[in-house]
Amino acid sequence: MAGGERLLEIVMPQLGITVTEGTLVGWHKQPGDRVEPDEAICDVSSDKVDSEVPAPAAGRITELIVAVGETVEVGTVIAMMEADQESAQGAPSPVAVAPAGEREPAIPPARDAAGRGAAERHSPVVVRLAAELGVALERVVGSGRDGRVRREDVLAAAAQPAAPASSELSVYTPPPPGVLSRMRRSIGEHMKRSLSTAATVTSWIEVDFSAVEARRRELGVTALPVVAAATVETLAQFGELNAWLEGERYTRHTDVNLGIAVSLGAEGLIVPVVRAAQTLGVAELAQRIADLAARARAGTLSPDEVRDGTFTLTNPGQFGTFMATPVINQPQVAILDTEAIVRRPVVVTQDGAETIAIRPICVLGLSWDHRALDGVVAARFLAALRERLQS
Amino acid sequence: MTELTYLEAISDALRVALAADERVLLLGEDIGAFGGAFKVTAGLQQEFGAQRVIDTPISEEAIIGGAVGAAIVGMRPVCEMQFADFVACGFDQLVNVAGKLHWRLGLAAPIVVRLPSGGGVSGGPFHSQSPEAWFMHAPGLKVFAPSSAHDAKGLLLAAIADPNPVVFLEHKYLYRRVRGEVPEGAYETPQTATTVRDGDDLVVIAYGAMVHAALAAAAEIEEASVRVLDLRTLVPLDERAILDAVRDCAKVVVVDEANYTCAPGAQVASLIAQYGYGDLDGPVVRVATPDAPIPFAPALESAALPGVARIRDACRELLAY
Amino acid sequence: MEDHAAAAPGAGHDSATHLDGDDRIALFALMARARAIEERGLSLYKQGKVPGSFYDGRGQEATAVGATFALGPDDPVCPLIRDLGAHVVKGTPAAAILGHYLGRTGGVGRGRDGNVHFGDAQRGVVGMVSMLPDMMVVAVGMAWAFKLRGEQRCALSFFGEGATSVGDWHEAMNLAGLWQVPAIFVLEQNGYSYSTPSARQFAVDPLERAAVYGMTGASVDGNDVEAVFEVTRQARERALAGEGPTLIAAQTMRMHGHGAHDDASYVPAEVFEHWAARDPLVLQRERLRSLGVDVEAIDAAVRAEIDVATAEALAMDPAQPQSPLEDVFCEGEPQVVGRGAAPWSRFPGS
Repeated sequence: MAGGERLLEIVMPQLGITVTEGTLVGWHKQPGDRVEPDEAICDVSSDKVDSEVPAPAAGRITELIVAVGETVEVGTVIAMMEADQESAQGAPSPVAVAPAGEREPAIPPARDAAGRGAAERHSPVVVRLAAELGVALERVVGSGRDGRVRREDVLAAAAQPAAPASSELSVYTPPPPGVLSRMRRSIGEHMKRSLSTAATVTSWIEVDFSAVEARRRELGVTALPVVAAATVETLAQFGELNAWLEGERYTRHTDVNLGIAVSLGAEGLIVPVVRAAQTLGVAELAQRIADLAARARAGTLSPDEVRDGTFTLTNPGQFGTFMATPVINQPQVAILDTEAIVRRPVVVTQDGAETIAIRPICVLGLSWDHRALDGVVAARFLAALRERLQS
Repeated sequence: MTELTYLEAISDALRVALAADERVLLLGEDIGAFGGAFKVTAGLQQEFGAQRVIDTPISEEAIIGGAVGAAIVGMRPVCEMQFADFVACGFDQLVNVAGKLHWRLGLAAPIVVRLPSGGGVSGGPFHSQSPEAWFMHAPGLKVFAPSSAHDAKGLLLAAIADPNPVVFLEHKYLYRRVRGEVPEGAYETPQTATTVRDGDDLVVIAYGAMVHAALAAAAEIEEASVRVLDLRTLVPLDERAILDAVRDCAKVVVVDEANYTCAPGAQVASLIAQYGYGDLDGPVVRVATPDAPIPFAPALESAALPGVARIRDACRELLAY
Repeated sequence: MEDHAAAAPGAGHDSATHLDGDDRIALFALMARARAIEERGLSLYKQGKVPGSFYDGRGQEATAVGATFALGPDDPVCPLIRDLGAHVVKGTPAAAILGHYLGRTGGVGRGRDGNVHFGDAQRGVVGMVSMLPDMMVVAVGMAWAFKLRGEQRCALSFFGEGATSVGDWHEAMNLAGLWQVPAIFVLEQNGYSYSTPSARQFAVDPLERAAVYGMTGASVDGNDVEAVFEVTRQARERALAGEGPTLIAAQTMRMHGHGAHDDASYVPAEVFEHWAARDPLVLQRERLRSLGVDVEAIDAAVRAEIDVATAEALAMDPAQPQSPLEDVFCEGEPQVVGRGAAPWSRFPGS
């Protein structure tokens, strides 16, 4: 063959947009016959219509593939022809088209704006299943995206056999498990999250509360508002402790929105907030705190009154405990704990000589987030606070 | 039982209805002597006469409004729009007259409007649309969209018997490509969804031609057990079946051949987000045709419509979440 | 296009052989009732008791009443905005109409649709939608069904000039003429569509389109209730004899604005003056007086009746929200258009 002659396929056309097959009714040409462009090669029929198939180019029929009366699928090659050099109509090359993208991404990104990842957020069904099956989620290894816990992971953890009892002990049948209250679980989640998020360190300082005692008797209040006022004043010099750290976002606040931890007995605890505490004197602070505490116990706090705290004060010392390692209230970076005021023998200087005196001593504990500040700041804060409280 | 194509099943339904109830009439363009653009009504005028299988002028408002008039004095008209796309020319009578009639006047309008809908046939922008969402949104209209030959006949018979106006979407791509066992004589398919493939790792919710794409995608995912729920009726929407499937599977992919924004799947997804929230182990994922007219060239059209690969990939991604 | 003030009334019709004395009185009483209901409705609207808008057909009562009077009990009617008279002829009670305007539970529309969008389907009145003239298409459908079933019934649809510009009008005319359905189309030619005069609505008078669409056309003085009756009676006879639809162009005038919110300042004063002198109630009142009928007594009786109806309507409870989905779908047996009153003496039981 001379260069440029091409073999062309003649295919069964689709006669109607819903048609899937066609029948060869008759051939107009035989192998070897010449055809001109658009000249009918054969007649075909579908359930909708009869038609003929025209030649795509000038040339010669080389082969008839399908027999008269045969029904084939649309697109089946029914004949072949050889096209003349100049008149050959090439088949168009396939167009590479990028698939039309759907809205991207179909599945949202792994970390949300607060930097919490899929691993830390459990889906509703995972939380519910874990509660129903008594699976501790923090011990489940997630096999989902970015390590998130999937439903299958909870089911697998529940199916694992419990650790075998020691052969020396008789078999222990535990009582049927219940579920902790919603509030308790919520507090628990928060505490756990705080400890796993912050680099928590606690520093303590002993403070002679003589001046505090005198002041509070004078004003007719408890020690708490006195300590609160002093804390707020000291925070003005140590702004690094009056801040939020949320993932990458670090916010230093000018207002001190002071959270006061209030115990609700067996129910749990809640932290109402005194906004802009730096604008309040001791007496006002005392009033505000008493009001918030009363309403917290009555359950009548509004949602606005338990948010936006920038620093928290907790004082569980009424039962005699004297030190603690408080958990930071996220997303704050520090929390101050005041415990029992205990009368202790301490070394004091009187008339130039050292002697033993009995003083009311209170240990202040500051838990602070090492991601946001160093021990020096914490220590200097505590020292400054002590200075204030003892003067 | 006989094996029929989806198209033959629809023809059979019309024949059964015409024979059983003299109130039933068919109207549409080219449906009588010519047997219809797709040959759905072939032979019916010869069998039942030109008074019952009527060739109309090109007048979509008159076809639908005229059907309403006949219906409110006791007839059971079944209108055909030649392509679903042309229902836009009769939209006013369908939405403002038929849909609101019972609520306003206590008169029922038991009409059926058959719409050959959907793409995949290089029909181009005006012969490929899936307009079901327009009618889900209009109060007073029922919307049916079968995916199988069996349901095409059963739902069409149910539509004709229903005292309300029913928009009946028959997917033209399925006309001759889908076959199935179809009972002889009269029967009605319930106006509910149905599970067409069992599974509990993930459920794909779809209707019409997309049910078949979903089934093919599910079959390729051998590593997980993927359920496919065929909605069958969009109004009434089988909310119970949807939420039960979400409860069992916890992961959902909703497929629409209709354009993404406000497609029927958007309603399904919002229902799940609100009422199935506690049962979800991942976001509700949608696969839909992008918000553009349906292209004509095969490569462009197949890139736009959700195909087996896109559905399968979305499922796999969600399964791994 | 002629100035509507100078439009000549249609050809005279001798209705005397088809209307007895009681019919002629009834025609007046029905128009009086329609007007009284609308006057009362307008007053209530101005008192702030009618929510939404208020529309009336003052001046067009003869067209609405005269045409509907010629219909049989099983002939449904599709009224439009100016055709309260049609509802009244079919027997819809005044209290139910006023209650409807007021948005009360006892009103025809039960609060679901307002102003003129109502129709007691069980009395053969198919209420309108806002899209005009959709109901004309529905009337064609009803008429076609009657023809198919060989029933001696026709359907009548009212509309104004503006509706003749809409696609649905042409589809309806074409289909009606093609299938020769037993329909009567009454075009209330009052010269305006809202504020648009007919010169800006169409190039060719719609009456001339009747022949073009394959049906009979007739013109009539729309303010002469007996003439309107007669031309409609003939159209009905034609329809029932299988001679197809008729387009009746009734020359009339809308004496108020499009709605109560429209002062119709676009209508020249002399047009209103011309038509005020041809008020349909005045014309019929004169006719009856010359026959020795005590028209004042009829007026008084109508006024008293409407006062009672008003009290009844005002005492009805306002429509309360029930389930918003109630009645959106038909759950039970579908209701069809029912049989209405047919006061013409020719119909049994009238």
